[in-house]
Amino acid sequence: MDRIEILRQINIIFAELLDNQNIQITEATVAYDIEDWDSLMHLQLAVAIEKNFEVRFNLQEIQSWVGVKDIIDSVVQRLN
Amino acid sequence: MITFNLEVILNKIQDRNLHHAVKLRNNTHDLGDLYHHKASLFLKKYEAYLQREGENIDFGINRYLIMLETMLQERIQFIKTGQYSNTSFEEVEKSVYANPEAMVSHMHGLVLAQFLWPDQYTRFLFFSTNFHKYFNDFCTYLEIGGGHGLYLNEAIELFPQARQFDLVDISQSSIDLAKGIIDNDRVNYYHKNVYDFDENEYNFITMGEVLEHVEDPLGLLTKTVSLLSPNGVCYITTPINSPMLDHIYLFNDEEEIRTLFHSAGLQIIEEKIAISDNKSTTYAKKNKTPVMYAAFLKKI
Ligand SMILES: C[S@@+](CC[C@H](N)C(=O)[O-])C[C@H]1O[C@@H](n2cnc3c(N)ncnc32)[C@H](O)[C@@H]1O
Repeated sequence: MDRIEILRQINIIFAELLDNQNIQITEATVAYDIEDWDSLMHLQLAVAIEKNFEVRFNLQEIQSWVGVKDIIDSVVQRLN
Repeated sequence: MITFNLEVILNKIQDRNLHHAVKLRNNTHDLGDLYHHKASLFLKKYEAYLQREGENIDFGINRYLIMLETMLQERIQFIKTGQYSNTSFEEVEKSVYANPEAMVSHMHGLVLAQFLWPDQYTRFLFFSTNFHKYFNDFCTYLEIGGGHGLYLNEAIELFPQARQFDLVDISQSSIDLAKGIIDNDRVNYYHKNVYDFDENEYNFITMGEVLEHVEDPLGLLTKTVSLLSPNGVCYITTPINSPMLDHIYLFNDEEEIRTLFHSAGLQIIEEKIAISDNKSTTYAKKNKTPVMYAAFLKKI
């Protein structure tokens, strides 16, 4: 799966979690850019991403994500 | 010399967890003078206790960060299953309350949380500003599951001459910590499961964050009512959607708590609700955000 497809799927997860079908994230989006992306949302996101891509992350890795690019990096690393 | 300084604590947390420190700074920056006064009074006593034990605030901060980590693990489980990970009181008693390593970390972590988390401070402020309506020097006070002792300490600060101050807690680690921080010979400490506690009736009972620690919260409330004098008042707090390593009973919303109070023969005098991170009610419901519930109650 390439980064564009991963980003597309993560966008769907964001839209569901944030209840906002119009949301458009990019690799450059960071938590700071999205008002509701706080520490609880961060964990919900992690769980949803694990489920979607059938991968597992440890807490340290999850906590190190600053933005979408870091998430995609982690997913790519797991899928390869 | 003990010089409490919130900034020092936040800077030390920042060195270890930048994201979290940013959140804490946002949480605490506009809480006002009373907040700084109360936090400084209690945390200075805490630091004095640490010093007597040959430790310093770094010990507390380490424990706080460990507790935070455990809490995040529990939250991840909760997001996945919708349940708290523990269902048995006996198990939690063995693995947490009677296990100093786990309990010391947990309780020291909670000491700092009382003043770093706005929902915790909200329930403390609600207690501190309203306690005088229901208590005076002729009254007796019992605290069930006092933990770190913040509430008992405040009751003594507000009414130093009151007739009697008792604390019952199932964990020796909690009693050691409360005793060490409060540092007042007037308090009687009972190391017991509250279900086995049968002293006299009390005019005022505080039971903060204990209801969610038992399998049968109605049974615990019934026990509490049996320890309350006919015109007595109690202060009870419990969280909704709040996974922790020693939480067993999941409250899904505040209505469940109110119904339980009613079933136990308790009537709400006044209540306070604080949603974590100041989220809206709709947001909290959808995302199962933790909510703090607190109330002063009397017998129906
Ligand atoms: C989360 S702490 C609450 C500390 C403090 N009361 C507060 O409001 O922050 C829970 C405390 O309740 C105690 N506890 C739990 N179950 C108990 C029981 N059945 N009888 C007495 N104490 C109990 C624990 O040992 C712990 O000290």
